[in-house]
Amino acid sequence: MFLINDLITLLAANLILSQALGTSTIFIAAGSRKNLVATAGVITVFTTIGAAAAYLIDLLLQPSAADLRLLFYVIVVAVLYVTLLAAVYKFRDRWFEELRRYIHVSAFNCAVMGTLFTINSRAAMDGTMFNLWGYVSAGLEAGAGFVIAALMLTAAYRKLNSSKVPASFRGFPAMLVYLGIISMAVYSLK
Amino acid sequence: MNDRKKRLFGGVLGDNIVLSGLMVISPVIICGDTLKNAEALIYAFSAITFLSVLISSFVPRKLPYAAKVIVYALISALVYIPVKLAAREFYPESIERIGIYYPLLAVNSLIVFQTEAKFFRMKKGEMIISLLSCIVGFDIVMLLTGFLRELWAYGTINSRIVDMNTLIGGLSQPFGGFIFLGLMCGAYRFIRSLISKDDKNVRSDVNVSDK
Repeated sequence: MFLINDLITLLAANLILSQALGTSTIFIAAGSRKNLVATAGVITVFTTIGAAAAYLIDLLLQPSAADLRLLFYVIVVAVLYVTLLAAVYKFRDRWFEELRRYIHVSAFNCAVMGTLFTINSRAAMDGTMFNLWGYVSAGLEAGAGFVIAALMLTAAYRKLNSSKVPASFRGFPAMLVYLGIISMAVYSLK
Repeated sequence: MNDRKKRLFGGVLGDNIVLSGLMVISPVIICGDTLKNAEALIYAFSAITFLSVLISSFVPRKLPYAAKVIVYALISALVYIPVKLAAREFYPESIERIGIYYPLLAVNSLIVFQTEAKFFRMKKGEMIISLLSCIVGFDIVMLLTGFLRELWAYGTINSRIVDMNTLIGGLSQPFGGFIFLGLMCGAYRFIRSLISKDDKNVRSDVNVSDK
């Protein structure tokens, strides 16, 4: 029962289905299992470590300087981006060419930035979340949510791109409608 | 339309960044449910994107790709500050309505990725025209979405009640935004295929900008 409750909570708080964050990235991820695993993995790294850094920024940033938050978040993501590229280059030299594509796609997009801002606004509303673990777990949750949404899309990807779908709706128009229907189901769980 | 015209003005209709490129769709889906939101998003997107891409065009081309992407993101994060301060002065209500999507406009893929892939391969004059056409393309979609969703979801136009027999409340919700945008993309592709009479163009797979 706890697991079902957790799953429902995870679905209801899903950033893609409830806030449309990272929708275009998920279309890339859903294309193949390899894309899904690599993109979801890299995004989870960005959201989790980024959330930890965002906690420190939110802790230090004065409310009067709140407009600088985006700038600091961009710096955090930039540092992570370079570190990840360097790490992949150094330790996984053979896969560098392949992996760097996912790192480029995952670094500066709505999925990562949106997660950081969503965690910040949730913490502003709920004081109990304003701690390092609260931020990190929310970052992990966002990564897991991305995987769940990508899996749902992967399941229907071929059918939505098949020749049976009218040409005008084939591909991402059909996928948007499909995501909308899933989002409607998730909305009813709230 | 010849190739040059297509390259310069394609962003308005032929190669619309939202309907064809699937860029900046989160704010359209979530915040594009009223005309007022649409106006505020149009102001923020137009100002941030135009200024950021213009300033970014002075970044040295010799820098590595990753460094350039970071510099573009930093420039747009800096441009975002005066734009938001001005919005606080002129559109105070808009900031709260748009919420987290305001800063997200500053890291949109048109600024971070398309600058490198598209705009910086053009001459300055052509780049500005092409950029403006992309912005106008977004603005048109945003206005249309805001207008139609507000009309059908709330039965109002710019907060004024109009005589509507049937309302579809779900259109104001995120799932309504997904479905509406999906249908709009399909209609756009259908019209485009009628005009170009070459439906192979619209039969492509998922056409994601930063693929």
